[in-house]
Amino acid sequence: MTLSVEVSDPRCDPEPPGWSEFRCRHGLYQPWDYELLRVEAWMSRNPPLLVLARYDGAIRAAMAVMVCGSVRANRYALPPRARGGGRGIRLAQVFQPWLGEAGFVVAAGVDAAEGRRLLRELERGVRRHLGIGLAGVAYRNVPLDLVPLVAGRGRLVREVTAPAAVLTNRWRTDEEWLASLSRNRRKNVRRVDRLVAADDTLVVRADAARSDVDGAVLAAMLREHRRRHGRQPFDPRSPVAGAYLDAVVRRTDVHTLTYHERDGRLVAFCLMLDHPVTPFLQFWATLPRDDGGRPHLYFDSHARAVRQVIRDRRGGLAAGRGMFEQKRSLGFAARPMCVVVAPAPVLGR
Amino acid sequence: MAHSPTVSRVASGWLWRAAYRRAVSAAFRTVPLYRERWALDGRTDPVLVPGRTGVDGGAVPAAEVQRRLGDLVPLAGGSREVDPLRGLGPVVAMDRLVGRGDLVVVLDDERPGELAGMPVGVRGRVCRVDGLGSAADAARWAAVVVGSAEQLGRMPDEPRARLRIVPRLELADLTDADGERGLLHDHQLGFLGALRRCGGWHLDWPRVYARETDAGLAMTLLWQRSPCFVDVLVGGGVKGVVAPCPTHGTPVVRT
Repeated sequence: MTLSVEVSDPRCDPEPPGWSEFRCRHGLYQPWDYELLRVEAWMSRNPPLLVLARYDGAIRAAMAVMVCGSVRANRYALPPRARGGGRGIRLAQVFQPWLGEAGFVVAAGVDAAEGRRLLRELERGVRRHLGIGLAGVAYRNVPLDLVPLVAGRGRLVREVTAPAAVLTNRWRTDEEWLASLSRNRRKNVRRVDRLVAADDTLVVRADAARSDVDGAVLAAMLREHRRRHGRQPFDPRSPVAGAYLDAVVRRTDVHTLTYHERDGRLVAFCLMLDHPVTPFLQFWATLPRDDGGRPHLYFDSHARAVRQVIRDRRGGLAAGRGMFEQKRSLGFAARPMCVVVAPAPVLGR
Repeated sequence: MAHSPTVSRVASGWLWRAAYRRAVSAAFRTVPLYRERWALDGRTDPVLVPGRTGVDGGAVPAAEVQRRLGDLVPLAGGSREVDPLRGLGPVVAMDRLVGRGDLVVVLDDERPGELAGMPVGVRGRVCRVDGLGSAADAARWAAVVVGSAEQLGRMPDEPRARLRIVPRLELADLTDADGERGLLHDHQLGFLGALRRCGGWHLDWPRVYARETDAGLAMTLLWQRSPCFVDVLVGGGVKGVVAPCPTHGTPVVRT
């Protein structure tokens, strides 16, 4: 069997053959879609690469690699193959920036030793592609069960402080779910239900493939929301682009929950990525309280998502990182994650 | 060695074009709206992503600019305030429309106050139509009044006789101009040029670039960083041409 590694820049390379099938077969979330990767890459300071390992043409492992260079924070990345684009020290960060999840996947049926070998091969492919300026590869948000695949001699492993929130669906009705919550939280969820139902000024709509929402409006609200909560240290991501959200909310496998005033002004929104097993709550943003935002809508959006998961009999719900205590009170559990850094001398070893 | 007028005209045209290309390049590198449009759809003149030529050469309708003002702020940050009086100083200096000691009065009912950025020795003021008399009295030599046709029509007769009236016209209304003087204006981009004695509508070319596209004339502010206006179809897209003035050699627009 012949092993080959290919590196695709979504900005200029066509979708690799077999990628859509691989993504569907392994239940990868929507941000792995090549068209969304293309939009994300153009609108990034640090654009992602898609790196694939194939055995005789069949994809066996994949990585989304964000190439973080010395590009200044106030500029988008240079176009692919631009003069000066390949110079300087760079760090390859392997993660899914808009999910807070690991950025690598190994095909089903591949054992741990083989998976480890494939990932080392992918590292060599990244090093060949980026050249001598590559300082190392950082695997971010790696779940504990996947850490052995990327850890090793000379590699740094640290647990990240904010765990991911994951809810396992053990209930048949939402009453059962409510009964499993603490008395205070149960009362609070019911109170929020009543508040939202009684609010005549609020129009709530949740649906897939929304054509009535403007990605630019969502992106502006999301940027403002994140600005209020402060930028994370060492965050290599760029502001979420309107074109990206436009492409996401039009998809039939993405549910968008919006809260509007009667006059059409957007108050808050939440995006849920549909998934056969574990849907994902991706983005949440709201107006500030002094500008018309309602503090209880955060709980309302999460309660609606949990109820939908129960109704559709899905295995669970992932809600990313952040606000973990509030999520825990709704039944979410912590999934600890690690960051693994492989400096250049140990890459591929 | 003295240069011929032809050489200096070619050189200034080349510099004008170079300034525009620099503005396009900076907008593509740093401004979300332009990055989105030109990377994903494309543009022409110059083409930034091989194979993508976009719609209308990549020009942006004024309505979209209005709707997405936040996305006209570069990643480094900046103002999102539109200044409808931007560029007034340079355009009133064209052809010595005003001189030292003159007062320029812009009619605006919403933002009365003093005007900055006027030529040396010239004062500027924004005032309401009904406050025009007292403002004109403050001028040492002469007062030049700038306003839209509607505002000028509301002016009382008494101060009108001793004032120099300069109408402010949108790009779509240039063909209606009947006086010797006038200023070209857009409510988002500010003052873009002036009608000179030669009869041509001259662009404020050191600061403003105009480009012909299928949807109409697209205007660019060459030096304004935020909000960044590049290739905006002012007036909803007005067909026109940009050509050198036979008298002055600098660019004029004809619609």
